Amino acid sequence: MPDPSGFDPAQPPTTRIATTVNGRRVARTVPLHYRVIDFVREELKLTGNKEGCGAGECGTCSMFVDGTLIKSCLAPVQKIHGKTVETVDDLDADKGMTVIQRAFHKCGASQCGYCIPGMVMAATATLRKRPEASLDEIKEGLGGNICRCTGYQKILDAVAMARDVLNGARPQADLDEAATDSFIGSRTRRLDAPAKVTGAIKYAADLWMPNMLHMQVLRSPHPHARIQRLDVGEARAMPGVECVLTCDDVPGVDNFGVFIEDQPIMARGVVRYVGEGIAAVVAETADIAREAVKRIRVTYDILPGVFDPVEAMTESAPQLHGFAPGNLCKHTRIRKGDVDAGLRAADLVVQETYRTSALEHAYLEPEAGLAYLEPDGCVTVMSPSQNITHHRHMLARILGRPINKVRMIMSTVGGGFGGKEDMLYQGMLALAAIRTRRPVRYVFTREESIAASAKRHPFSIDYTMGLTRGGLIVATRMVMVSDGGAYAMSTPGVMNKSAILGPGPYAIPNVWVDAIGVYTNNTPSGAFRAFGAFQSEFATESHLDLCAERLGMDPAQLRRLNLMQDGATTHTRQQLDRVAATACLDAALAAARWDPGVPHREAHGEPARVDLGGPGTRAPCTLGLGTMATDKETT
Amino acid sequence: MKKRGRGMACGWYGIARTAAMDRAAVWVEIDDGGTLKVATGVTEIGEGVLTGLCQIAAEETGVRPEDVVLADNDTARVPEAAHAGATRMTYMIGNAVALACREAFGKFAAAMAGYWQVSPASIRARAGEVWVVGSPSQRMSMEHAVHILKKDRGIVIVGSGLFTSAHTALDPETGAATPWQSYVFGTQIAEVEVDTDTGEVQVLGVWAAHDVGRVINPQQVEGQIEGGVIMGVGHALMEAYSQAAGHTTTPGLAKYILPTTLDVPHVTSVLIDEPDPKTPLGVKGIGEPCLTPTAPAIVNAIHDAVGVRMTHLPATPERVLEALRLKRAVQPREQRKVA
Repeated sequence: MPDPSGFDPAQPPTTRIATTVNGRRVARTVPLHYRVIDFVREELKLTGNKEGCGAGECGTCSMFVDGTLIKSCLAPVQKIHGKTVETVDDLDADKGMTVIQRAFHKCGASQCGYCIPGMVMAATATLRKRPEASLDEIKEGLGGNICRCTGYQKILDAVAMARDVLNGARPQADLDEAATDSFIGSRTRRLDAPAKVTGAIKYAADLWMPNMLHMQVLRSPHPHARIQRLDVGEARAMPGVECVLTCDDVPGVDNFGVFIEDQPIMARGVVRYVGEGIAAVVAETADIAREAVKRIRVTYDILPGVFDPVEAMTESAPQLHGFAPGNLCKHTRIRKGDVDAGLRAADLVVQETYRTSALEHAYLEPEAGLAYLEPDGCVTVMSPSQNITHHRHMLARILGRPINKVRMIMSTVGGGFGGKEDMLYQGMLALAAIRTRRPVRYVFTREESIAASAKRHPFSIDYTMGLTRGGLIVATRMVMVSDGGAYAMSTPGVMNKSAILGPGPYAIPNVWVDAIGVYTNNTPSGAFRAFGAFQSEFATESHLDLCAERLGMDPAQLRRLNLMQDGATTHTRQQLDRVAATACLDAALAAARWDPGVPHREAHGEPARVDLGGPGTRAPCTLGLGTMATDKETT
Repeated sequence: MKKRGRGMACGWYGIARTAAMDRAAVWVEIDDGGTLKVATGVTEIGEGVLTGLCQIAAEETGVRPEDVVLADNDTARVPEAAHAGATRMTYMIGNAVALACREAFGKFAAAMAGYWQVSPASIRARAGEVWVVGSPSQRMSMEHAVHILKKDRGIVIVGSGLFTSAHTALDPETGAATPWQSYVFGTQIAEVEVDTDTGEVQVLGVWAAHDVGRVINPQQVEGQIEGGVIMGVGHALMEAYSQAAGHTTTPGLAKYILPTTLDVPHVTSVLIDEPDPKTPLGVKGIGEPCLTPTAPAIVNAIHDAVGVRMTHLPATPERVLEALRLKRAVQPREQRKVA
C-alpha cells in the first residue's frame, strides 16, 4: 500500500541548496525534508557537530548561520540557502585550535566529548558577543547546552580562561602544558582533547562506509502482548529494502544476558515492554527503512501487564518469564549477627521508608553502530559498547559462529554511565551485515534510546536502625524492593551491590539486608553508575541524618562514632586493611568549615549555623536577570 | 522566603567487577622512535583513562605520554581487559599497564646495561632519554637506544601484564564474601538554598573528599568528581524517568530534565592521595564513588534549611512544597501563630 501522502522514500522530493560552508561554496540537491544538520553531516560528511536529541534541547548540533548560533537539528535545510554556515569542523580556519579550543584542552573540559562541539560553538558565540562576559553571562550563554560528564565546572573554567587570554589579561602561555617532573600525579592535558574540541573524533554515527545500508527497527507499542502474526511481506517488497529480519532469522541460541540469559535479540513470540525490538529493516537509505518499518503488519494478542514490583510478586500477577515464579529475578541476602536482638537492645529504633525513581543515563550520544563482514567471513561490529568482551561471547552463540569470526570494536563512546553495558542492538546489526554482505549502520533517535535502553533501578527501601543513646549503631535492617523491568540485564549484580554496600561504611554488629529485584512490564532496569549503591546508600545516609536529629547529635559526630576503621570487618565479613573513611570525613569537614550541631537547629532552639555562604559556594542563580537575556539570539 | 542549610553524607564503594573475578591484560612494545605501543582490550568512555594509562606508561618506561600509541578496543587485535565500568579502569588496566611496562623496562634496562657494560640497576630513563646513573657520557635518546637494540643487537623489547583482583561470590544465605579487593571511601557536604514559596532548591556548594588511591591525574579525578556531583544534583532534585502502564511519559530531553550550567554548585574536590597497599601501582578509582553521597547530602541540607525530610527522590519543587505544607499542617497552633 503506497503512502497516502504520496511520499516515496526511494525518490523523495528534493531541493537545491547553494550555500557557503566553512568558507567553501557548495551546491547540492538534497531531500526536501532535510534539516541543516542532515545537510552538513549526511550530505557534506562534516561530522564534527553531533546530533544529540533532534529537538533543540541539548545543543550539541549548534552551528553558526550568518554569524547567528542556531540549533541545526531544528532548522530546515532551506534556511541556509544563500547563507554562510560555520561548523566546528573548521572553526580554527586551518590555523590549529582556536583559543577557546585550546582552553578546553588545557582545562580538561572535555570528557566523552560528544557535547563539546556544541559547547565550543556556544562559548564562541558568547565571547564573540561579549568579549568581557562575566561568569554569569558565560553560564547563561552555555545554558542551552547539556553536558552529562563534566559537571560543567571545567567548561566554565575554560571559557573564562579563553576570555582572559583573548582580552590579553592572561598570557597565551597559560594555555600550554605546565612543566612537570613526574608524569604520574601531574595535570597532563587529555591526549584525546584536541580531537574532541575540534570535532575530529568519530563516534559510531559519524562512521560511513562505501555501499553502506541503513537499519531501522520496529519496536513494540505494547508493554505485554503475544505476537499472533508478524507479516513483513510488504516491507520486504519495497524498492530499496535489502532485507527484513525477525527472530526467525537468528541462526544460533537466541538467549542472552549478563547474569540471566532471558533475552532474545528481537522479540520471540512475546513482547514484554514498550520499545522492545521486533523486526529490523535494512535498506538503501534510512528514509526507506523507516517507511518499510511502517509497513510491517503485526497482530498482537494483548496480555495483562504488571507495572509495580510488589504487585508483580503476588500470586495473581501476570508472569513474565516461565523460569521466574513470582516474577522474582534476584533476591540477595546479607545476614550478620542477630538483628532482632540488636533492635530489642537498642535505646532508639528509627524507621523510615525511602524511594528513588527510575533514571535515564542521558548520555549525549544516542546508541549507534556499524557492522560489516570482513573478507575472511568475520563479522565486525563497531559500537560504543562498554563491554566488547562479553558482547563478543554472547554474539558468537547467538550467531552460531566460532568466536574468532566475531569481532567487536569499541567506537568512541559519547557517554555511557553503564547504559551501554547491556547489549541492545549489536545482534541485529551483525545479523544484517551477515545477511546482506554489506556494511550496515544503525543510529538511534533520542526517543528510541530512551524507550529501548535500560534505566537506573527504582528502589523502595524500608529502613530500621537501632542505636544506643550515645549514638552507636547496634542493628540495621534494610528491605529493598526494586523494579527490574522486563529483562534481567544487570539486575542480579545491582541487587548484590546495593545489598553489600547498603548499610554503609559503618561498623555494625547486626545486619539484615534483603535486596529483591522483580520482573515487570516496565522498561528494563540495568547498569547505571553506582549500580544499586546510589539507591541503598541514599537511604542509609538520609536515615543517619534522621537518627542524628533524634539523638540531638551532630550528624558528622554520629558518623565518626560508627565509621569503619583500619582492619574493620564488612557486612559480608570481609576483613579490610586500611580504611580511610575517617580521613575523608575530616577532610570534607575542614574544607567546608563545617559548623557542628544538630540538623535543623532552629527546631531545637539552637543558634543558627555560622558556616553558610562562605568560600566554595556560588551566588544563587537569578534566572532571566542576566544581561545576556536582553538581546538573546533566536533560532 | 529563602532559607539555607547544610547536609552531609558519607559513602563507600567496592571497585572492580561484581559478577566475577576481575582481570585485565596488556601488551607493550618499546618501539621505533623511542615510542611505546600499549595494547589492551578496552577504551575509555570519557573519564580520561587513556591519558592516565599514557602517564603511567611514560612514568614506567621513560617515554613521554605523547609518545605512547594506544592500540585499544578491538577483540581481534588486543588482549582482554574486560569491560568499561565498575570504577575499574584506572585500577585494573592502570595496574596491568604498569606491570607490562615494568616487564618491558626490565628487558630494556638489561639490554642497555649490556650495551654500556654496566649493571642493569644503574639504567634510568625519563621523558625520552636513557642514561647510566652517575655517568655523564653514557646517555642517549630513547629513539637512538631502540635503534641500537634493534639494528645492532636484534632485540625487540616487549612486555605483558596481567592484573587480577580478588573476588569471591556471596554466600546465598548469609552474603558472606570478599566481593572486591579494594574499597573507596568518601564524604560530601552540600549547601542549599530553599525557596519556601516555590519549593525550588538550589545547590550552592559541594565539598567532596574521596580516598581515590594514588592520583595519576588530579585534573581528571576532579573532572570525575565534578561530573558525579552534578549527576547527583540531577538525581536529587529533578530527574525521573516516568511511566504510565508501561508507556514512558518522559520520552525526550524536553520532558526528562537534566542539570545545566545554571544549576551547578561550586564543587570543591579534596583528593586523599594515599596509595592502595594491595596493588603494584597503588591506584584506585573514583568514577562511581563520587556519585553516591551527593543526593543524601542535598536532601539532608534541605532538612537542615527548612525542616522537611525528602525521603522520595527527586525532591522536585512540587514535592518540597507539599512537604512544607504537611509540616505546617501538623505543627501545633501556637507554633503557627509564632511563625
